[in-house]
Amino acid sequence: MTEGLLLLAAFAGLLLLRVPVGFAIGTAAVLALATQVSLGPALLTSAQRITTSLDSFPLLAIPLFILAGQLANRGGTAARLITLAQELMGGIRGGLAHVHVVASMLFGSISGSAVAAASAIGAAMGPRMESAGYDRDDAAAVNIASATTGLVIPPSNVLIVYSLASGGTSIAALFLAGYLPGLLVGLSLMAAAALTLRGNRDTGPQAKRRIAQPLLAALPGLGLPVLVMGGIAGGFFTATEASGAAVLYALALGVAQRELTWRDLPESLLDAATTTGVVMLLIGTSAALSWVLAYERIPEQAATLVLSLSRDPIAVLLLVNLTLLAVGTFMDITPAILIFTPIFLPVVSELGIDPIHFGVIMVVNLCIGLCTPPVGTVLFVGAAVAGTEARKIVRPLLPLVLAMLLALLAVTFVPSISLWLPRLAGAAP
Amino acid sequence: MRRAVDGATRLLLVALMAASVINVLWQVFSRYVTESPGSFTDELARYLLVWVGLLGSAYAAGQRLHVAMDLLPQRAGKARTAITLFANGIVAVFSLCVLVAGGAGLVHLAFELDQRSAALGLPIAGVYLAAPLSGLLIAFYALDDMATAWRQRSRPEETS
Repeated sequence: MTEGLLLLAAFAGLLLLRVPVGFAIGTAAVLALATQVSLGPALLTSAQRITTSLDSFPLLAIPLFILAGQLANRGGTAARLITLAQELMGGIRGGLAHVHVVASMLFGSISGSAVAAASAIGAAMGPRMESAGYDRDDAAAVNIASATTGLVIPPSNVLIVYSLASGGTSIAALFLAGYLPGLLVGLSLMAAAALTLRGNRDTGPQAKRRIAQPLLAALPGLGLPVLVMGGIAGGFFTATEASGAAVLYALALGVAQRELTWRDLPESLLDAATTTGVVMLLIGTSAALSWVLAYERIPEQAATLVLSLSRDPIAVLLLVNLTLLAVGTFMDITPAILIFTPIFLPVVSELGIDPIHFGVIMVVNLCIGLCTPPVGTVLFVGAAVAGTEARKIVRPLLPLVLAMLLALLAVTFVPSISLWLPRLAGAAP
Repeated sequence: MRRAVDGATRLLLVALMAASVINVLWQVFSRYVTESPGSFTDELARYLLVWVGLLGSAYAAGQRLHVAMDLLPQRAGKARTAITLFANGIVAVFSLCVLVAGGAGLVHLAFELDQRSAALGLPIAGVYLAAPLSGLLIAFYALDDMATAWRQRSRPEETS
């Protein structure tokens, strides 16, 4: 146990001194392993864990979904989704904040990454909200919180990671399970924005309700989630194959709409590969750390500890949620899922919680950590996009984070929010 | 020097990424059209991902895109230089020890045992080679950043 605490202290120290998260996790893994075996084998094993954890067909869906999102965005899809959201939400007080949340959710149904949503939708909506009289930090807060809905709404990179970490929970079932919780988080954010941004008398774009034309313009883009989810849920594609089809679809769409030139292609490929690299370093080093923890039998010890405290599902879920909220503040969502799924999933499974449901709980929970300092990936990106400082957004984020917490409570204790759709489709028992 | 390394890495990444896309599309096509799903696409997809993932993370390191804690005020001066030197030093040591030394060990082992992949008969050493190569790149970028930070140590109020 003292070793564990030392490890945690070393990890925190590395983070504090601005060692990038992925390298801090990797260093912690090597140090932990070196206390068990000698240094040479520790280095060899770490390198092997990092490399072989990427040797996975399901994981390839992540770069391809990133690429599809890139291509769709360069092809002008984000702008069309915003126009559609505007017509849907126009005329409501605080309309632009609602437009923003809805646009982020629509974008989330195409892209699997919250960072992509925060930069694509935030860059377009931020200036608009500011010129409508919103405070820049308020607008950035709305952008950051709503961008995370894309991780719950499929396709979702982190649900793919969970599928892997949980030993192969069906990606189709997880994706279907994400829709309603994602919608719930979005609605909670809209409610919070309506309550707290009351000072803004923006009535939104004066809607003449010309819904048909913007809908028609956005329809080809929205065909992407139909292709992906229809293909996966219908059993025509694996998630990885669907992501490949999504790339082809987004490419064809961009070319057909003449908003994508062939010169965009190498740039999109490079961007996707770079973003993939950031995620894969986290996956590789977290897999190595997770392996070391398993080697030291930490998951069993944690399970015994938790179950000795309580065997009441409600109490255990609360305890797990609180732990994950704390973890989420200093750890990115991908490593948190890889490291804590093997620790907590056996515990909650023993108490009868469905692994699909638990995956959604983890993602909704850890999305909150993406918005909170000291390590909040989406917070940093959202601040950079808005041209403000992360510190200044913390206060306007508070009510939005509270709304996310309430949504998390509902998702945790009402399993059917997650399980109704996959059961309807026959993808969950 | 750095620009040349960047350019070469970019070229390789674009090619690897394009190959990944074509490979997966070929898998779908061959399954539905020719009805003879080649078993090699699955294997190739996985090996390409190892390469894209590791090389991509090296390139991302060069672009300073890996997420780090960023909440302390951006104070210029000695403390900041020291932190930059320390963080990049850790990154360099990690890359050289684990990815380069550990990775080279893996390559050597796979080469000695002449391990080959099941479907394509590719040498596994070639898959593992991604680790030491990426490690070298990451260490190069980290050391270069350290040198830059050291050169600029006396100049205050400059954001990177």
